[in-house]
Amino acid sequence: MTIIEHHSSLSKTLIRTQAAIALFVLLWLGGFDFFFPSNFRLQAGLHGLSTIAALVTGTFLTHRAYHLMRGVHINFKSLRYWTLTATVLNFLGVASGNWMYMRYRGEGGAKDWILAHTPTFHNVMMEFKEFISLFPFPLMLAVTFILFYYGDDIVTRRDLLNFVGLLILIAWLFLLLGFVAGLTLAKLHFV
Amino acid sequence: MNDNTEKHSSHELFSGVVIAATLSPLLGFYTLMITHHISRVSKPLDQLIHSYGQWIPGSVGSGALGSTGSYSGKLALALIVWLTSWAVFHVLWRKQELSIQSWLPIFSVGLLIVTLGFIHPVIDPVVLFILNLLEV
Repeated sequence: MTIIEHHSSLSKTLIRTQAAIALFVLLWLGGFDFFFPSNFRLQAGLHGLSTIAALVTGTFLTHRAYHLMRGVHINFKSLRYWTLTATVLNFLGVASGNWMYMRYRGEGGAKDWILAHTPTFHNVMMEFKEFISLFPFPLMLAVTFILFYYGDDIVTRRDLLNFVGLLILIAWLFLLLGFVAGLTLAKLHFV
Repeated sequence: MNDNTEKHSSHELFSGVVIAATLSPLLGFYTLMITHHISRVSKPLDQLIHSYGQWIPGSVGSGALGSTGSYSGKLALALIVWLTSWAVFHVLWRKQELSIQSWLPIFSVGLLIVTLGFIHPVIDPVVLFILNLLEV
């Protein structure tokens, strides 16, 4: 093994280890919700885990998006399965978010408390968050569909590659907006 | 590789598929925005929107667990518009070459406007203006 190959292999191992550690530690941001003193900790924990996993996967995919836009060699089979994974995680985020939203609106829930104490966070932030958080799922599904539909032949169309890359970046932006808004609201009043 | 070479080598790939797959969610997002603001006009309109989503689990109920209320109707209507329009546009455009370059600014601006449409301090003056025009 040459020195260059050795370094390449080492950096690959380090990158993967760093990503795995980041995912594992960040997942506890939502995972600890399972142990919070609330009757609705299951909803909170599931929503936390699915959205953090979706955000980490979405962030990872933005790196692939830049590869697509630069036109460098890319493993499309791997990309297709990563976008499929992101789509499933986004769907789980939306489904668990609906479950959480029930409790948010329930008696003695976060909505009542926020409206009584700091209404702008509901009237502006939550009213924005509850809708834009839905955007990443259909956008990522569109990306996944496009990649599976065209297969590896998509490499011949730079305009389509650029557009798909942009879609991944847009989906990530809405994921981030929804995530930060959701975390802020959860800090104001846990379910 | 120049544009001509790309088009020549990729004559089997039609961009209509991409435009169908991305126009349809945009229409779904606009459905969310429009139904959301309609539901805010009056209680009967809120109930009307709610009625479309009552098949979704958790859409009706009270107590501590609560329910998603009329949000379920907005979701249901957006889902119908998104999936129906996707199927229709896909069938219509799957063998058509449509310009991605022309679609990109329309898609981006469309997405920006619908996003602003969910920021109440930004969109409420527009909603009030429309309601005044309609004398609602």
